[in-house]
Order: sequence, then C-alpha cells, then structure tokens
Amino acid sequence: MEALGYSAADFYYLLPELILTGGALLVLLVNIIVPRRGDLLFGISLGTLVVSGLVLASFAGVDTTVSRGLLAIDGFALFFKAIFLVSAALTLLMSAPYLRVEGVPAAEYYFLILCAALGMMFMASGVDLITLFIGLETMAIAFYVLAGYLKPSHKSNEAAVKYFLLGAFSLGILLYGMSLLYGVTGTTRLDGIAEALAGQDRSLLLAAALILLAAGMGFKIAAVPFHMWAPDVYEGAPTPVTAFLSVGSKAASFAMLLRIFVEGMGALTPDWQVIFAFLAVVTMTVGNIAAITQSNMKRMLAYSSIAHAGYILIGVVAATERGVVAALVYLWVYLFMQLGAFAVVTMLRRHDVVGDELKDMSGLFARAPAAAVAMLLFMLSLGGIPPTAGFMGKVWVFGAAIDQGFIWLAVVGVINSAISLYYYLRVVVFMFFKEEAAGSEIAMGPAMVTTLTVAVVGTILFGIYPQLLFEQAQAVAGSLGASVTSAALQ
Amino acid sequence: MTNPPYVRLAVALPVVLFVWFCTMVPAVSGGEVLVWELAWLPQQGIDLDFVVDGLSLLFALLITGIGAFILLFAGEYMKGYPQRGRFTLFLVSFMLAMLGLVLADNLVALFVFWELTTITSFLLIGYSHEDATARRSALQGLLVTSAGALAMLAGFVVLGQAAGTFSLREMLAGQGSFAAHPHYTAIVVLVLLGAFTKSAQFPFHFWLPNAMAAPTPVSAYLHSATMVKAGVFLLARLTPLLGGTELWMVTLTVVGAVTAVYSAFVSLGKSDLKQVLAYTTVMALGVCVMFLGSPPAAGQGEPSRGVLAALAFLVAHALYKAALFLVAGTIEKATGTRDLTRLGGLRKAMPVTFAAAVAASVSMAGVPPSVGFVGKELLYTAGFAPDAAGYVPWAVFFAAAPIATVAMVLAIRPFFGPRPDYRKPGREGHWALWCGPVVLAAVGIWWGLAPEFPFMRLLVPAEAAVTGHLPDTGHAPWHSTGQAFALTLATLAAAVLAFWKLAAVKQALAGCRRLVPFSADGAYDAAMNGIAAVAAWQTRRLQSGIQRHYLMIVFATLGLSLAVTLWLKNVVPAPLRLAEATFLDWSLTAVVAAASVVIIRSRSRLLGIIALGVVGVATALIFLNFGAPDVAMTQLIVEVLITVIVAVVLLKLPDFSNEVWPSRPKRLRNAIVAVTVGVSVTLVLLAVTGSPPQPDLREYFERNAVPGGHGRNIVNVILVDFRALDTMGEITVLAIAGAAVFALLLPRTRRREGALLPGARAVAARAQAWHGSIMNTMILRETTRRLVPLILVFSVFLLLRGHEQLGGGFVGGLVASIAFSLYAFVFGPQAARGILRADPRAVGAAGLAVAIASGFVGSIREGVPFLTGQWGTLAGLTVGTPVMFDVGVYLVVVGVVLTFVLGIKEQE
Repeated sequence: MEALGYSAADFYYLLPELILTGGALLVLLVNIIVPRRGDLLFGISLGTLVVSGLVLASFAGVDTTVSRGLLAIDGFALFFKAIFLVSAALTLLMSAPYLRVEGVPAAEYYFLILCAALGMMFMASGVDLITLFIGLETMAIAFYVLAGYLKPSHKSNEAAVKYFLLGAFSLGILLYGMSLLYGVTGTTRLDGIAEALAGQDRSLLLAAALILLAAGMGFKIAAVPFHMWAPDVYEGAPTPVTAFLSVGSKAASFAMLLRIFVEGMGALTPDWQVIFAFLAVVTMTVGNIAAITQSNMKRMLAYSSIAHAGYILIGVVAATERGVVAALVYLWVYLFMQLGAFAVVTMLRRHDVVGDELKDMSGLFARAPAAAVAMLLFMLSLGGIPPTAGFMGKVWVFGAAIDQGFIWLAVVGVINSAISLYYYLRVVVFMFFKEEAAGSEIAMGPAMVTTLTVAVVGTILFGIYPQLLFEQAQAVAGSLGASVTSAALQ
Repeated sequence: MTNPPYVRLAVALPVVLFVWFCTMVPAVSGGEVLVWELAWLPQQGIDLDFVVDGLSLLFALLITGIGAFILLFAGEYMKGYPQRGRFTLFLVSFMLAMLGLVLADNLVALFVFWELTTITSFLLIGYSHEDATARRSALQGLLVTSAGALAMLAGFVVLGQAAGTFSLREMLAGQGSFAAHPHYTAIVVLVLLGAFTKSAQFPFHFWLPNAMAAPTPVSAYLHSATMVKAGVFLLARLTPLLGGTELWMVTLTVVGAVTAVYSAFVSLGKSDLKQVLAYTTVMALGVCVMFLGSPPAAGQGEPSRGVLAALAFLVAHALYKAALFLVAGTIEKATGTRDLTRLGGLRKAMPVTFAAAVAASVSMAGVPPSVGFVGKELLYTAGFAPDAAGYVPWAVFFAAAPIATVAMVLAIRPFFGPRPDYRKPGREGHWALWCGPVVLAAVGIWWGLAPEFPFMRLLVPAEAAVTGHLPDTGHAPWHSTGQAFALTLATLAAAVLAFWKLAAVKQALAGCRRLVPFSADGAYDAAMNGIAAVAAWQTRRLQSGIQRHYLMIVFATLGLSLAVTLWLKNVVPAPLRLAEATFLDWSLTAVVAAASVVIIRSRSRLLGIIALGVVGVATALIFLNFGAPDVAMTQLIVEVLITVIVAVVLLKLPDFSNEVWPSRPKRLRNAIVAVTVGVSVTLVLLAVTGSPPQPDLREYFERNAVPGGHGRNIVNVILVDFRALDTMGEITVLAIAGAAVFALLLPRTRRREGALLPGARAVAARAQAWHGSIMNTMILRETTRRLVPLILVFSVFLLLRGHEQLGGGFVGGLVASIAFSLYAFVFGPQAARGILRADPRAVGAAGLAVAIASGFVGSIREGVPFLTGQWGTLAGLTVGTPVMFDVGVYLVVVGVVLTFVLGIKEQE
C-alpha cells in the first residue's frame, strides 16, 4: 500500500482551505482575548477570505490532485471556490450591519460562515465520495446552527430544527446511495467509479444507488419534491444566512452533483438525464407557481431560488461540455443577482421594521433610489431579461438543452421564465408605484454600498460583456474532462 | 420657467441622429447596405453588428425624426412634473433602445434591445402615476409583452439553431427561407407570439389602450409612433426567412384583419381622446400586419405590392398619429380635460393646433391630398390583387370607414360648437407644444402632394429589403387603380354617414358590446386570478409547514421511484429461505417490529424514546449476529448516548398528550407511504442479496491490515490509517458542531420570559424537582460514584486495544462520554465539570491538536507525507502514530459530547 497522507505540495495546494481554517479559529481566539469587538472580527473574517482568494488565484491553470487523489485542484474546483469566497465575502459585508441591528453575538457567526465556506471548498475539490460527504457535512452543520442563530425568534428556531431534521434525513439517503455505489464499484473514488461503471451492466443496485443519490443531492439543491425545507428555512434564518444558503450552499451542492454524476457516473448519463430532466421540470414549475402567491420577500426568493435550481438542472441534463459551461455560468450570474436581492432585503431590516415583507418594498424608489434601481436590475436579471446577466445565463442554459435535442425542456424553461416575470415585476411595481412604507430611515452604510455595487456590477457586466465569464467557464468545464466527453459521445 | 440644459441636449441628440441618418438615404436607396461591426460574444455567434438597409433606415428616420418633436414637446409639457431628469433619461434611453432594435443584425442583440424598449416603456408608463390603475396597466403591459418576448426568444434560439447562426445577414446569405425546416412551425408560432403581443394584435390588443395612462408624450411616442411598431418591423424583417408560406400568410392576414376591424369599431365608441387614439393605433397595426401577410410577388406581370402598402400606411400613420397625440396633449394642457364630450369651441382660441389637427385628420381619414390617402389607395390596390384573399378589401373598408369617422370627430368636436367652461384658460400654448403637430401634419400633406420622394427614396428601398429584390419600376408605385379609388369614395361616404348619425352608431355599438359577455382584458384578469389560485392551492398542498408532511412527500417520492424501478427492471426477488432463519433471527425481527409498533402508537415521549432505543439495540444485535462486532458495538453505544441526549432534550418539551393527532385518513396515507418505502427497499435488498457485491473489498483489507496498518481490527485500521484523512475531516466536523452548539447554548441573548415555549416553564420546574426526587436516591448516587471510574477505565481500555481487537478511539470516547453524562445527571453539570477538570471545549481542541500532531510525527522524523503511520517499539510495546491519532479522536468525541450534554443540562 502506498504512502497515505499529505506531502508538502499537498499543503501548498490546500493553503486556501488552511487559511480559512486558521481564520475561523483566529476569530474564536480573538473573541476570547478582546470580547465584543464585532468590527475587529469582521475585519479578520473578511481578511481571511481575501487572503484565501488571493492564494487561490495563484493556482489558476493548475490541474493536479492532492492527498492521494482525494482532492482535485483543477479549474473546476477553482471556479467554484471563487464563487464560495465571493459569496461568503458579500454575505459578511451584509451581515455586519445586520448583526448590529439584531444584537446577536458576532464571533460564532463569523466562525460558522467561514466553516461553511470551508466545507464548500471541499465539496468542489473532492473527487472521492467520502471527502465530498465530509465537505457537505461541514457545510451543513454550520448552516443548521446559522439558521437558528436568532435565538429569541421562533421562526428562526423552527427553521433550524426543520433544516436539521430534514437535512439529516437527506444526508442519510445520500449516504445510503453512496454505500450502494461503493458496493457496486468497490471504490469511493470517482475516477475508479467511472472506470468500474464503464464496463458494467446497469444492475438494480446501481439504479437504486442512482435514485438515492439524486434524491440526496436534490435535497441540497432544493429541487422539487425535496424542496419543502427551503421556504421555511429561508424565511426563518437571518437574512444574510439565507443569502449565503441560497447561493453558496446551492453552488457547492451543484459542484458536488456535477462531480458525482458527470465525473463519476458519466457512463450512466442517459439514466440520470431522465431523472434530472424530470426534476428540472417539476422544480421550475412548482417553484415559479408557488412564488406567485408569496407576500414575504424571503419566501418569494426561496421559491425563486428553487426555480433557479431547475434552470441550472437543465444545463446538467444537457450533460455536454456546453451544458456544464451553462450551469457554471448560471451559478456565477445567480450569485450576483440573488445576493444582491437579499442584500436589499437585509438593508430593510431596521430597529423598528423586520422589512422582509413585499409591502416593505413599497415606495423604495422614493426613499432609497439607488437601492431601488439596483433591486430593479436584480429582479430583471432573475426574470432573465436583458441586458442583465440573468438573460445571458438563460440563453446559454436553454441553448445547451436545445443543442442536445431537449427542445421541450427549453420550452418549459421559457414558459417558466414568463411565469416568473409576474412575481419579480410585482416587486418592481411595489418599489416604483406604491406609497412609501412605514418605518425609520433606510441607512446604507459603506458595507452595504459595497455589496450592492459588486452585485450590480456583476449583474450588468456579465449581461453586457458575458464573454469574460464564458471564457472562464469554457476553460474549466474541460477539467471535468474525460468523462464529460465520453458522456457526450454516448 | 426655463428648461434645464439637459432637456435641450436631449432634443439635440435625435436631431443630430436624424440628420446623420438622412445623409445615408442616397446610398441606401441606391441599394447599398451599410454595416458597423462590433464583436460581442464571438464564441456564441452573438455580435453587435448594426445594419442600415432600406427597412432599418426607414424606421431609424421615424424614430429619430418623431423623437425630436416628442422630446421638444415633452420639455414643455412636463414642466412642473417632479424628477424630470429621470423622465428625460428614460425617454432618450427608450429612443436609443428602439434604434438598436431596428438596426441590430443579430437576433439575440435584437431581442436585448426589444426587451430594453419594454423596460424603458414600463418605467415611462408608470411615471408620475401612483394610482392602482396605472400600476395595473404598467404591470399588464410589461407582462404581456415580456411573456410574448420570451416566446419570441425561444423562437429565435430554435431559428438560430436551425440556421447555425444568429446573424440575420448570414441567414439570408446562407439558407434563405426556412419554410422547409422541420421546426418551421414552432419558429413561426413562437416568433409571432412575440410580434403580436408587442404590436397589440388581437387577442393581445388589450394592454395597449390600458397603457395610455402614461404621460401624453410617452403615449405618442411609444404607444403609437414607434415601440408598438416593433412587432410589425420584426415581421417585415423576418419575411424573407419565414414568409411566403400558407401558415405565415393566413395567420398574418386573418389576425391583422380581425384586429383592424374590431379596434376600428371600438374606437368609434370611445370618448376619451387618448382611448380613441389608442384604438385607432391598434387598427393601424392590424392593417400593417394584415398586409405583411400578402403573398409574395409571383414573378410575372404586375407584382403584388402588399408590403409596400403596409409600409406606406405605417409611415402615414406614424405622421398623423404622432401629430394627433400631441394635439390631444396640447388640448389637455390647455383645457384640463381630454374628454371629447366636454370639449368644444377651441377653433378661435387655438388656431394653430386646430390647423394641425385638421391636416392630420385629413391624412387619417384618407382624404386627398395626403399621404394617408396614398397609403389607403395602395391598401385597396393590393387588396384587389389577384392573389390576395377575397375578404381583404372588405376588411380594409370596415376598418377604414370607422377610422375616417373618428378622424372627423377629432378634427371637429374639440374645435367647433359651444365652448364649455374649462378649468384652465384654454388658449394656444408654447410654440414647443404646437411645433411638432404642425410639422408632422404638414409633412403628411406634403408627401401626399409629392409622393415621389418618400416612395422612391424610402419606401421602395424598404420594400426591397423585405421582399429581397428591387422591383422593376415600370410606373410610379403610388398610383392606384380605379377600383381602389371607387372604394375610397365609398369609404368616405360611409364615414360621413356614420358621423352624421354618430349617436345612433354609438348606441348600436354599445348594444353589440353588451352582447359579448367577455373581453380580452377580462380574460387576462381571469388568467392571472387562475394562476394565483393554482399557486395558492399548490402551496397549501406542498408547503403545509408541518415537518412530517414534508417527510411524507419525500418518502413517497423515494418509495415510488424505487417501486417503479423495480417494476421496470422486472426484478424477481431472491427466495426468502425462511427455513434457514434461526431462533435469534426470528426473535430480533420480532423485537424490532414490536418496538416499531410501540413508537408509532405511543403517546408518551419517554416511551417512544425507549422503544426507539430498543430498535437500535436490536439492530446492533443483528450486526453482531452477522459477524460485525465493531459496527455492533459502535451502534450500541451510540444508541445509548442518543437515547440519553434525546431524552434530555425531549423532556424539556411540553407535554405530548395534548398534541393534535392527524386524522385517520391521513394516518392511513402515511402508513401506505411507509409500507411502500419499506417494501421497495426490502425488495431491492432481496434482489441483490443473491450475489454479494464486490467480495474483493473484504479480501483486500484482510490482506493489507496487518502489513500496512499494523493492526488486526480492520475497521479501526481503516479509520485511523487507511482513511485517516477522512477521519480527520470527520472529527473536524464534530469539533465545528461542538463549537456551533456551544454558540447556540450560550445564554448571551437576553431571552424574554414570553419567548419561552408554552409549557416550558412547567417543564423546567419539573426538571428542578428531579434532583430531589425519590428516583434520585442514595443508591443511584453511590452506584454512580463507584461506576464512573470503572467506566472510564473501560473506555481507555477500549481505546488502547482498538487497533488489535474490538474497540477504538471513537467507541472509547463515547463510553467515556456516557460516564461523564451519567455523573452530570446524578450530581449536576457543575460536579461533572469538577471531575473532568477542564472545559469540554478545551478537551475537544486538545484532541484535534493531538490528532494533527500525530500526522506530523512521520513528516518530521522521516519526511514522509502527513498522516503516514509510523511504528516503533517503546518499552516492549508496539506503538504507532495511528494509536496517537486514535487518542485524539477519543478526546474530540469526549469534548464535543460533553459540550452538548453539559450545555443542555446547564440550561435548566
């Protein structure tokens, strides 16, 4: 048996993760030494993310595996890790003022955000079922607690308990699927699984494994009918946590899903294409239709987030390099528009207003024109209307599906986009054409301005000049490499 | 009051653009196509190329020319309105988006501009209106057009896929017509949805009159002269690619005809100036669509000029309608009303406006000499062409006659008759107000007198861009036939008659209206309400907020998919071989089954927890029975600990017996789901037990455990050596969970009394009472005092022998945790902390540190990778870093579990 463990190179390539770990521990430590210094902890956390990101950026172009092939340091991982770090940073930025208003302790909050990001990083890098699972667990546990972070709030408590229980069930289902897959192939490594499956008949056990894995991952990306936790949790959790949950956690779960199904189970592409096509259709439809009746912004965005998982799944169904590129591009685009929308909702939380109801958006244009225009952009982008990035994402996803002959799927997607316009635009109508809502002045601190600026720039830039993003996605989709091509050939 | 400079600048922009486009007229009318290329997304075949040909130049001139007058007018009209900078910005943005739309060569770029016009129009419609009607119409216009546009986008994508390019030029140069393509029908239907919604064709016409809530310059520009014509433009643009088929021609002609006739009659019955103008706009759009559906030139003889007629009518309409809208705005500004029944006698007070209104109305009515007359003549001529459908001339007649009547009403009603009392002075306004109407109306007359310039320079080149060839101009294309002229006379006669008997006509129309019990607007409302109802129903069904309901749906899905798979795969489960089952097998199964029934039936939390524990213990015994002592042991101890922790937590909850239980049918449904899942999973397992999968796994570990890992306990060797990295990850997760739970348990947020769950206070009191209760006797105390050290020693024993035999750090840690937990239960958490002598969190952190340090031993001593097992002999014993690692695991487990248990106990 060859040597197990980490070499010096391993440590080098794990530096972003190690920095995150160190930063998280430092937050706890500093909190003990100098208590009640939220600003200091915020600085440390943000600094950690920035340094980690800088180190990560230096790995561009690397394609290797570390720790005995359990973790891949490739373009795909890098692409996703960038999503996680950016979304974590934006979450931190909108959290700082929010935590002050809520009056909850900051140290553990920042610690858990960093831990969640750490888990996500492993979900993007892992090329082994167990490693992936551990990453998922790390992230999930952090989120269970974060969801219930507002202790006096019943909604927040309920969110945490529901998320925890359903999450535990989903992890159980996922593990069951993994163990069946391990039983069939005799390995937990994705490349080994791909190799073993290439020559195998599709046995019943494999089919069961496929179903269980799809259900387990369906939970994490909040695909219908495994989505029920999402609206309750999104509504109850602290708003910045909801934002991070809907963007970071979703992206990480998609990374894991792509790794498992495209890289590991490429030989079974036709089988899981059917499953995901079904999931995509019901996810988009149920999500969009349910969003129409919502009067709470966070719930509405939860359903919208469910629907977006459906759109991204279309890219997965296409199962070609183009489809993967589409999913990757969409996730980046989604980051900006979704986080931006949540930032605006977070901003409306003031000492006298909860601010997450649709009616709280009334007359925002008169009160905070910049925020309203930003929100307009996010809503248009979520609805897939040019010249925003959301439009480019949809064009690419639907294009990939049509390319593979899934025209009906693209048509369902377009119909769904049309339905979704109703509830996105209703927000706009509230902001621009309604009397101002009650409540104290809306303060836009520098952190919030930064968040909104980044989100707006992303939403516009990738809508007007999507080239930037496509080139990157195209370059990294290849590192999901050989298996993608073989899937496409079938 | 003077205008700020940006308003003047905003007028200068379209003027400059207009002049610039005018300079292109000679080249383009000579057949040239001017192109500006801009790379945008080359990989995706999406570029930002701008093309000026006959068609786009015609539209560009309309957009900039009319735009200049609109902006001039708006500068005066909007004086005193708030936030004019924004208004001007939106209006200019709209104009640029519209220009982009007509000039774009790439379909995707075209779509982008298309949606930009929708968005800017939305912002302009809702401008300065805060009433519910404006909100509704803004949302309605946006929804209808955006939904149509998305359909159109889908059509574009399919078209692009079929052509292999999104560039219109490349499509034309390459394949030409797509009529034979397998997806042709889909493309046409999707694209037409976009065009028809944008250009307000029946049955999507209802949004346009509603959108007239916008400020008048906006209505004039967007909803009449330019934006709504985008659909017509698109149809013209795509005619060479998609036109010429039966589907295309019939759809366009029929829809256009219905729209034109219907809206012409509706306009006759309206009395709000803007509503009247809105419906006549819909009529004009219908006419254009109808004639774009004309059959293509047959080749020999006199070519059919339906397209030319449509374009000529479109230009005529743009000129007179913009003028009339601005007149309506001027009148409203001057008098404070735009209700036709309350207007009159303005002829003397507003002579210039009157002149403009008359000139524009002449064109609208199709009276010579005006471009409107020429346009209508062409319509009739094209309608009588041999290959046109027989009903076309009559559709034009029934559309044109009411419109002519309306034109008379517009020219006469506000200006003649008695002058009512207006709230405002009712005098001629600023020159910027009447300048636009006068010039536009004058152009309408001028081009009617001298049609050669507009036709030869603008319309025929535009027609050529649509039909694909410059027609052989044997004679002037604006000349009509006698047949057409006769019908024009008949139209005017009918119009005069209707004007004379207007009251009766209106009454008859209102009567007809009452006969139709539904309207498209009502259908829109019904559709919206329907969607909302479906959404509410679906949300109620799926999102009840009840956790067990969620689980039920999840398990139903899983059970169903497994069952379907079994059915599809036609699986025959292996025979049960019941005869081989031993007494132990039977009794364990019976215990699990009985305990499960108890869990389901139990209405006491404690009983449920205990029964759950029984299931767990029985499962552990099953593992033991099948030769997996490690798993059995871990399962057993985890089970004990879980029962303890769950009991601690659940006992804090209010009484269970008061809960509302699900009704009998619901319980039945849940039972069916549970049985389905259970049976499916069982069948899957039965089907695969015939051949145990991958036996080589076990062999591999059996062969490698001792030489590779220096241990005979395979499970432990895997955990601390082969997969030490994963274990490292797991204990890190555990530590994070500990820290997280600690954060939640911290009593730092001031919890208000009211925030306690109902009944929780009583429970807290109950827990307090426990320490003095009869169950907490001396015997228990004494036993605990003796037992805890023993259990701790046993846990260390388990830890140390783990590598060779049953045991290990994880199990050992759990056992130790049980010992401390027991102590905490009996003597209270403070006492447990006392014997632990350290903060549990510190214990956990120390464990993590030991585990990490064990990984570095090898790296430092021999430079091998992190977490490589190192073995040596110490005082006659074989020791290795994996054992050290296991110690770390032990400590982490103890630390984390005690953080939970002590933290929860201390909450009491």
